[in-house]
Amino acid sequence: MAYDFEALLSLVEKPARYTGGETNANVKPFSQAQVTFAFCFPDTYEVAMSHLGMKILYGILNDLPYALCERVCMPWVDMLALMRENGVPLCSLESRTPLRRFDIVGFTLQYEMSYTNILEMLDLGGVAVWAERRGDDDPVVVAGGPCAFNPEPLCPFIDAFMLGDGEDVIVELTDIVNECKQQGASRVECLRRLAGLPGVYVPRFYQDAYHQDGTFKSLTPTDACAPGRVLRRFVTDFDAAYAPTSPPVPYMQAVFDRIMLEIMRGCTRGCRFCQAGMIYRPVRERSVDTLVRLALESVKHTGYEEISLSSLSSSDYSCLPELARRLTDALKDKRVSLSLPSLRVDKFVQDTLTQTQRVKKSSLTFAPEAGSQRLRDVINKNVTEEDLVKTLTHAFSNGWNAVKLYFMIGLPTETDEDLAGIARLAQTAAGAYYALPKDKRVKGLRITCSAAVFVPKPFTPFQWCAQDDPQTVQRKQKLVRSLFDPLKTAHFHYHDFALSRVEACFAVGDRRLGRVLYRAWELGCRLDGWSDCFRYDLWEKAFADCGMDMSFYANRVRDPEEALPWDHIDAGVDKAFLRREYERALQGKTTRDCRQGCNACGLQKLKGVCRICE
Amino acid sequence: MRMMVVFEKGAQVRWIGHLDLMRAMQRALRRSGLPVEYSNGFHPHIRLSFASPLSVGVVGLRELMDVPLETCVEADRFAGELNAVLPDCLRVSRCLPLTDDFPSLMSLVAGADYRIRLFSGPEADRAAEAFDGFMSLAHYQANRRTKSGEAPCDIRPFVVGGSIASGEWGYDISLRTLQTAAGALKPSLWLQCLREYAQAGEEKALLYRCAILSRQSDGTFVAMEDLAHAL
Repeated sequence: MAYDFEALLSLVEKPARYTGGETNANVKPFSQAQVTFAFCFPDTYEVAMSHLGMKILYGILNDLPYALCERVCMPWVDMLALMRENGVPLCSLESRTPLRRFDIVGFTLQYEMSYTNILEMLDLGGVAVWAERRGDDDPVVVAGGPCAFNPEPLCPFIDAFMLGDGEDVIVELTDIVNECKQQGASRVECLRRLAGLPGVYVPRFYQDAYHQDGTFKSLTPTDACAPGRVLRRFVTDFDAAYAPTSPPVPYMQAVFDRIMLEIMRGCTRGCRFCQAGMIYRPVRERSVDTLVRLALESVKHTGYEEISLSSLSSSDYSCLPELARRLTDALKDKRVSLSLPSLRVDKFVQDTLTQTQRVKKSSLTFAPEAGSQRLRDVINKNVTEEDLVKTLTHAFSNGWNAVKLYFMIGLPTETDEDLAGIARLAQTAAGAYYALPKDKRVKGLRITCSAAVFVPKPFTPFQWCAQDDPQTVQRKQKLVRSLFDPLKTAHFHYHDFALSRVEACFAVGDRRLGRVLYRAWELGCRLDGWSDCFRYDLWEKAFADCGMDMSFYANRVRDPEEALPWDHIDAGVDKAFLRREYERALQGKTTRDCRQGCNACGLQKLKGVCRICE
Repeated sequence: MRMMVVFEKGAQVRWIGHLDLMRAMQRALRRSGLPVEYSNGFHPHIRLSFASPLSVGVVGLRELMDVPLETCVEADRFAGELNAVLPDCLRVSRCLPLTDDFPSLMSLVAGADYRIRLFSGPEADRAAEAFDGFMSLAHYQANRRTKSGEAPCDIRPFVVGGSIASGEWGYDISLRTLQTAAGALKPSLWLQCLREYAQAGEEKALLYRCAILSRQSDGTFVAMEDLAHAL
């Protein structure tokens, strides 16, 4: 017998992932909306519901009286199999409408290793996976988010990409699709109009070309509607920008199950490996008054018991002590606790907090990223050992006894000496603990160091760099592990090289990787970001079947003259700046935080965008 | 004072677990601004307790929770203000003020009434036909799934009454079950046993808990909220 969706729920793990009905979930009837948007998160429900971007865009679209936005998440393996077996299509959480019945199907691209999920969701939702096979009655499939800055590997599957801050462009795009729908315009006509929208890239109107040696040559517009370069969008008045104070409140525990107060967007530090630090520029802060108001509204509409501050580097928020005091005061009677970044919280705030608020003593996290000062200078991570010791001493004497330190292995110019520094830093951290008198520290010190594998990302000074080959990565991981063996209080974990290798290929890949992605999905790859689902053997086979080589993408240093597959995207930060930063990295020269003075990253050329450089 | 809240856990949220439902209610109470009591310490949480956890997958028509309050609130106002901040699939039908010395709801649970709706089909017909025979058995050994594998269990003593009715949708089985210190019977297990006995396959069914029961002094069963109301 074929089961319907309801019957499948009794057969799967965590059925609450699929049933919706949350407080603040949209309840507008599907049939009454002029234009419908399926917001697709290509990962499981509990990951999706932790994502701030979805809450923002869901709120903005549902505030439009003529539009409707519903959520769609990637089902877990058990549900996927049952849905396929029983012919149950992928539907939205709210009205249980199949994906193919929406006017717009939009994916957020947070992580390269969720790309196979996009194919799976489209197919399961009854939408043709290949963009060219979609007809006039099919949804327009769009995507945005950080990975859209190198959209090329996804081009065969996505009709239009949105670049940069999504708040305005998502409304403009929805309006155009609506207009085309009301006028009965063809699909191609609709995509032409979208291509004319600032911040939108419609890949079908561009042709890719390659050199004989296989390197990328160019991407040429093939239609008058397509601009040569697409400049990302910027929200300039961040204080007035939409903030989601009544997002859906999940029943089952999400990964981040609390109010996320976005205090600031962008980061001024300029770490050279960090894509977010480049593509979310410039730094924009919300005022303390606005934030207090947003916090109170959020508490009122969600009932959450905890607020955390959200940004790329919350300790850099310019009025953090004042914000902490004002929020603490405002929330005291409401019994809502506030988690603050552990760094740079001044003494007074710390004292206020210990009296009135829950102070999390369990999760103290630092990201030195590299083990030696030399390598930290190369990556422009301006944290010194002295800073770390000072902060740790303060933390240990205030009741913390567990520290997590995050590192990367395989950074440009890295030597074994730098790697040894990881273990040395763990020892230094332990030293800061044991330097305190016994009655001033809490028993049971735990230091956990974990090392990711460096992945070169577009629009960073390291975009030209190679990832270490698998043998080198594994040798380095073993080396660091051996240095941790004699350490009693410190533990070392490292990431799987294979997952990072595929991630690197897609991060810096070109349009030809679309075929590899399709082949991998065909072979059964999905939910690759979950280590128990990731199948490196299938990915190797997919590359081989398509005659493509992972090393060509992941392990090749790119010549400065070589065209890059994402050169047609204008992130605001210009290539000359990135190259300059790369050269400085090789010389071990740091670059100042741009709050201390403009570094001319390129944003200064755009009028009214960056307040710091003006 | 304390407020007994009678609410419906609707079909859409029947897969939400007990702890998740409790958290959803705490968040709703926080949104409502009603004068609830908080625990002390750095992790203040709203005090509330449920009469009896509901099995995942079962619709609850008259679920019960007990909310201690800092100041008195009129019952209808409490119900109205809580409903205003609850999603459609969670609805308060009635509120009853309790005195502080009223026993804990959990201690008063003696049984539960369930309704099992079998949607029409050949397998439902087979199960319905076997109903009387199944009810006339003195014992029925079921394999109950536990954390440590399967444990044999006689489910018959847990059932104190039952009847079946048919309608255009199929069949409705009403079942009165006991809940004691020795345990309770999940309606899904009972249905599984009926099907096994009837040699009927699975077909669409929906389970409802219609009431949580207490015993009166004369030993008869009464819906717990009616007991509270009588007092």
